Amino acid sequence: MQLARVIGTVVATVKAPGLDGVRLLIVQPLTRELEPVGTAVVAADAVHMAGPGELVYIVAAREAAEALEDRFAPVDHAIVGIVDAVEPIRGGGR
Amino acid sequence: MKLARVVGTVVSTINSPIFEDRTLLLCDLVEPSGEAAGGYMIAVDTVGAGAGELVLILDEGTSARQIVGEQHGPLRTVVVGIVDQVAGPASVATAKPAEPVATGGKSRAGRTKPAAGGTKRAAGGTKRAATKG
Repeated sequence: MQLARVIGTVVATVKAPGLDGVRLLIVQPLTRELEPVGTAVVAADAVHMAGPGELVYIVAAREAAEALEDRFAPVDHAIVGIVDAVEPIRGGGR
Repeated sequence: MKLARVVGTVVSTINSPIFEDRTLLLCDLVEPSGEAAGGYMIAVDTVGAGAGELVLILDEGTSARQIVGEQHGPLRTVVVGIVDQVAGPASVATAKPAEPVATGGKSRAGRTKPAAGGTKRAAGGTKRAATKG
Protein backbone atom coordinates (compact mmCIF):
# COMPACT_ATOMS: atom_id res chain seq x y z
CA MET A 1 0.00 0.00 0.00
CA GLN A 2 1.14 3.49 -0.73
CA LEU A 3 0.27 7.04 0.19
CA ALA A 4 -1.36 9.13 -2.51
CA ARG A 5 -3.09 12.45 -3.04
CA VAL A 6 -6.39 12.70 -4.91
CA ILE A 7 -5.85 15.21 -7.69
CA GLY A 8 -8.85 14.73 -9.93
CA THR A 9 -11.82 12.71 -11.05
CA VAL A 10 -12.57 10.71 -14.15
CA VAL A 11 -15.94 10.37 -15.81
CA ALA A 12 -16.44 7.55 -18.31
CA THR A 13 -19.80 6.74 -19.83
CA VAL A 14 -18.72 3.83 -21.96
CA LYS A 15 -16.91 1.32 -19.81
CA ALA A 16 -16.65 -2.32 -18.84
CA PRO A 17 -19.75 -3.55 -16.99
CA GLY A 18 -17.74 -4.20 -13.85
CA LEU A 19 -17.01 -0.50 -13.55
CA ASP A 20 -20.64 0.54 -13.25
CA GLY A 21 -21.15 2.61 -10.14
CA VAL A 22 -17.45 2.75 -9.40
CA ARG A 23 -16.08 6.20 -8.65
CA LEU A 24 -12.82 6.79 -10.46
CA LEU A 25 -10.32 9.28 -9.08
CA ILE A 26 -6.93 10.38 -10.29
CA VAL A 27 -4.35 9.91 -7.56
CA GLN A 28 -0.73 10.94 -7.38
CA PRO A 29 1.42 8.44 -5.48
CA LEU A 30 3.60 10.05 -2.80
CA THR A 31 6.80 9.33 -0.96
CA ARG A 32 6.48 9.00 2.79
CA GLU A 33 7.55 12.64 3.01
CA LEU A 34 4.42 13.30 0.92
CA GLU A 35 6.38 14.35 -2.16
CA PRO A 36 4.94 13.27 -5.52
CA VAL A 37 6.63 10.20 -7.00
CA GLY A 38 5.94 8.44 -10.28
CA THR A 39 3.01 9.04 -12.55
CA ALA A 40 -0.56 9.64 -11.46
CA VAL A 41 -2.93 6.71 -11.78
CA VAL A 42 -6.67 6.24 -11.93
CA ALA A 43 -7.93 4.47 -8.82
CA ALA A 44 -11.37 3.21 -7.84
CA ASP A 45 -12.69 4.87 -4.70
CA ALA A 46 -13.53 1.98 -2.41
CA VAL A 47 -14.27 4.17 0.61
CA HIS A 48 -16.84 6.30 -1.26
CA MET A 49 -15.70 9.38 0.61
CA ALA A 50 -12.39 10.44 -0.90
CA GLY A 51 -12.35 13.84 -2.57
CA PRO A 52 -9.89 16.06 -4.39
CA GLY A 53 -6.94 17.13 -2.28
CA GLU A 54 -7.37 14.31 0.20
CA LEU A 55 -4.49 12.20 1.46
CA VAL A 56 -5.35 8.54 0.99
CA TYR A 57 -3.69 5.18 0.78
CA ILE A 58 -4.07 2.98 -2.23
CA VAL A 59 -3.64 -0.69 -2.92
CA ALA A 60 -2.52 -2.00 -6.29
CA ALA A 61 -2.93 -5.13 -8.36
CA ARG A 62 -5.47 -7.87 -7.70
CA GLU A 63 -6.30 -6.59 -4.24
CA ALA A 64 -7.70 -3.38 -5.71
CA ALA A 65 -10.75 -5.27 -6.99
CA GLU A 66 -11.11 -6.95 -3.59
CA ALA A 67 -11.89 -3.53 -2.18
CA LEU A 68 -15.01 -3.17 -4.31
CA GLU A 69 -18.41 -4.80 -4.09
CA ASP A 70 -17.75 -6.62 -7.34
CA ARG A 71 -14.60 -8.48 -6.43
CA PHE A 72 -13.86 -9.07 -10.09
CA ALA A 73 -14.15 -5.48 -11.21
CA PRO A 74 -11.50 -4.58 -13.77
CA VAL A 75 -9.46 -2.18 -11.65
CA ASP A 76 -5.80 -2.21 -10.72
CA HIS A 77 -5.65 0.55 -8.12
CA ALA A 78 -8.13 1.32 -5.37
CA ILE A 79 -8.34 3.86 -2.58
CA VAL A 80 -8.83 1.78 0.56
CA GLY A 81 -8.47 4.40 3.27
CA ILE A 82 -8.38 8.09 4.02
CA VAL A 83 -5.33 9.16 6.00
CA ASP A 84 -5.91 11.21 9.15
CA ALA A 85 -2.24 11.42 10.05
CA VAL A 86 1.14 9.94 9.25
CA GLU A 87 2.96 9.71 12.55
CA PRO A 88 6.65 9.03 12.82
CA ILE A 89 7.29 6.56 15.60
CA ARG A 90 9.23 8.03 18.49
CA GLY A 91 12.77 6.74 18.45
CA GLY A 92 12.29 5.20 15.04
CA GLY A 93 15.65 4.88 13.38
CA ARG A 94 16.45 4.55 9.74
CA MET B 1 9.33 -11.10 1.27
CA LYS B 2 11.14 -7.87 1.91
CA LEU B 3 13.25 -6.39 4.66
CA ALA B 4 12.07 -3.07 6.01
CA ARG B 5 12.38 -0.77 8.97
CA VAL B 6 9.36 0.54 10.83
CA VAL B 7 9.45 4.35 10.71
CA GLY B 8 5.90 5.38 11.50
CA THR B 9 2.23 4.64 11.62
CA VAL B 10 -0.63 5.67 9.39
CA VAL B 11 -3.76 6.75 11.22
CA SER B 12 -7.00 6.25 9.34
CA THR B 13 -10.61 6.12 10.49
CA ILE B 14 -12.35 5.86 7.15
CA ASN B 15 -11.11 2.73 5.45
CA SER B 16 -12.03 -0.65 4.06
CA PRO B 17 -13.46 -2.94 6.77
CA ILE B 18 -10.49 -5.29 6.66
CA PHE B 19 -8.29 -2.51 8.09
CA GLU B 20 -10.52 -1.83 11.07
CA ASP B 21 -8.76 -2.25 14.41
CA ARG B 22 -5.50 -3.01 12.67
CA THR B 23 -2.28 -1.07 12.90
CA LEU B 24 -0.86 0.32 9.70
CA LEU B 25 2.90 0.62 9.81
CA LEU B 26 4.95 2.83 7.58
CA CYS B 27 8.02 0.82 6.65
CA ASP B 28 11.12 1.92 4.74
CA LEU B 29 12.49 -0.82 2.54
CA VAL B 30 16.10 -1.67 3.38
CA GLU B 31 18.94 -3.67 1.88
CA PRO B 32 20.21 -6.73 3.77
CA SER B 33 23.03 -4.46 4.97
CA GLY B 34 20.50 -2.18 6.64
CA GLU B 35 20.88 0.67 4.19
CA ALA B 36 17.80 2.26 2.71
CA ALA B 37 16.77 0.50 -0.47
CA GLY B 38 14.55 3.35 -1.60
CA GLY B 39 10.82 3.27 -1.33
CA TYR B 40 8.47 2.35 1.46
CA MET B 41 5.37 0.32 2.11
CA ILE B 42 2.34 0.64 4.31
CA ALA B 43 1.83 -2.74 5.92
CA VAL B 44 -0.63 -4.16 8.42
CA ASP B 45 1.07 -5.27 11.61
CA THR B 46 0.50 -8.88 12.66
CA VAL B 47 3.42 -9.37 15.06
CA GLY B 48 3.48 -6.30 17.29
CA ALA B 49 6.41 -4.61 15.61
CA GLY B 50 7.51 -1.28 16.99
CA ALA B 51 9.74 1.72 16.65
CA GLY B 52 12.74 1.35 14.40
CA GLU B 53 12.53 -2.40 14.25
CA LEU B 54 13.78 -4.38 11.30
CA VAL B 55 10.87 -6.41 9.99
CA LEU B 56 9.90 -8.91 7.35
CA ILE B 57 7.19 -7.77 4.96
CA LEU B 58 4.99 -10.07 2.97
CA ASP B 59 3.53 -8.44 -0.14
CA GLU B 60 1.11 -11.00 -1.51
CA GLY B 61 -2.62 -10.81 -1.07
CA THR B 62 -3.78 -14.37 -0.58
CA SER B 63 -1.10 -15.13 1.97
CA ALA B 64 -1.67 -11.83 3.72
CA ARG B 65 -5.39 -12.48 4.09
CA GLN B 66 -4.74 -15.97 5.33
CA ILE B 67 -2.53 -14.58 8.08
CA VAL B 68 -5.19 -12.18 9.34
CA GLY B 69 -7.90 -14.81 8.94
CA GLU B 70 -9.95 -13.08 6.27
CA GLN B 71 -11.05 -14.65 3.04
CA HIS B 72 -11.68 -11.44 1.16
CA GLY B 73 -10.60 -7.85 1.31
CA PRO B 74 -8.08 -5.46 -0.20
CA LEU B 75 -5.27 -6.53 2.08
CA ARG B 76 -1.99 -7.34 0.44
CA THR B 77 0.93 -6.18 2.58
CA VAL B 78 1.56 -7.40 6.13
CA VAL B 79 4.44 -7.39 8.58
CA VAL B 80 5.03 -11.06 9.29
CA GLY B 81 8.20 -11.07 11.36
CA ILE B 82 10.64 -9.12 13.46
CA VAL B 83 14.16 -9.73 12.27
CA ASP B 84 16.71 -10.64 14.92
CA GLN B 85 19.68 -10.88 12.65
CA VAL B 86 20.65 -10.89 9.02
CA ALA B 87 23.66 -13.12 8.46
CA GLY B 88 25.88 -14.02 5.54
CA PRO B 89 28.07 -12.10 3.10
CA ALA B 90 25.21 -9.83 2.10
CA SER B 91 25.11 -8.20 5.44
CA VAL B 92 26.61 -7.09 8.68
CA ALA B 93 23.26 -5.72 9.81
CA THR B 94 21.80 -6.15 13.25
CA ALA B 95 18.24 -5.70 14.43
CA LYS B 96 18.99 -2.26 15.85
CA PRO B 97 21.91 -0.56 14.11
CA ALA B 98 20.98 2.81 15.62
CA GLU B 99 22.12 1.66 19.05
CA PRO B 100 25.64 2.29 20.29
CA VAL B 101 27.72 -0.58 18.98
CA ALA B 102 30.09 -1.40 21.84
CA THR B 103 29.55 -4.87 23.28
CA GLY B 104 26.03 -5.56 21.97
CA GLY B 105 26.94 -6.55 18.45
CA LYS B 106 29.98 -8.52 19.48
CA SER B 107 28.34 -10.73 22.07
CA ARG B 108 25.38 -11.34 19.85
CA ALA B 109 27.55 -12.39 16.95
CA GLY B 110 29.34 -14.84 19.19
CA ARG B 111 26.14 -16.25 20.53
CA THR B 112 24.36 -16.68 17.23
CA LYS B 113 27.18 -18.41 15.44
CA PRO B 114 26.42 -21.92 16.65
CA ALA B 115 22.70 -21.52 16.11
CA ALA B 116 22.50 -22.45 12.47
CA GLY B 117 19.74 -20.87 10.39
CA GLY B 118 16.19 -21.32 11.52
CA THR B 119 16.88 -22.55 15.01
CA LYS B 120 17.26 -19.04 16.34
CA ARG B 121 13.66 -18.04 15.98
CA ALA B 122 13.25 -15.99 19.12
CA ALA B 123 10.01 -14.51 20.37
CA GLY B 124 9.68 -10.74 20.74
CA GLY B 125 10.62 -10.70 24.40
CA THR B 126 13.66 -12.84 23.90
CA LYS B 127 14.80 -10.66 21.10
CA ARG B 128 14.65 -7.52 23.18
CA ALA B 129 16.57 -9.15 25.95
CA ALA B 130 19.19 -10.25 23.48
CA THR B 131 19.48 -6.75 22.07
CA LYS B 132 20.41 -5.39 25.47
CA GLY B 133 23.05 -8.02 26.06
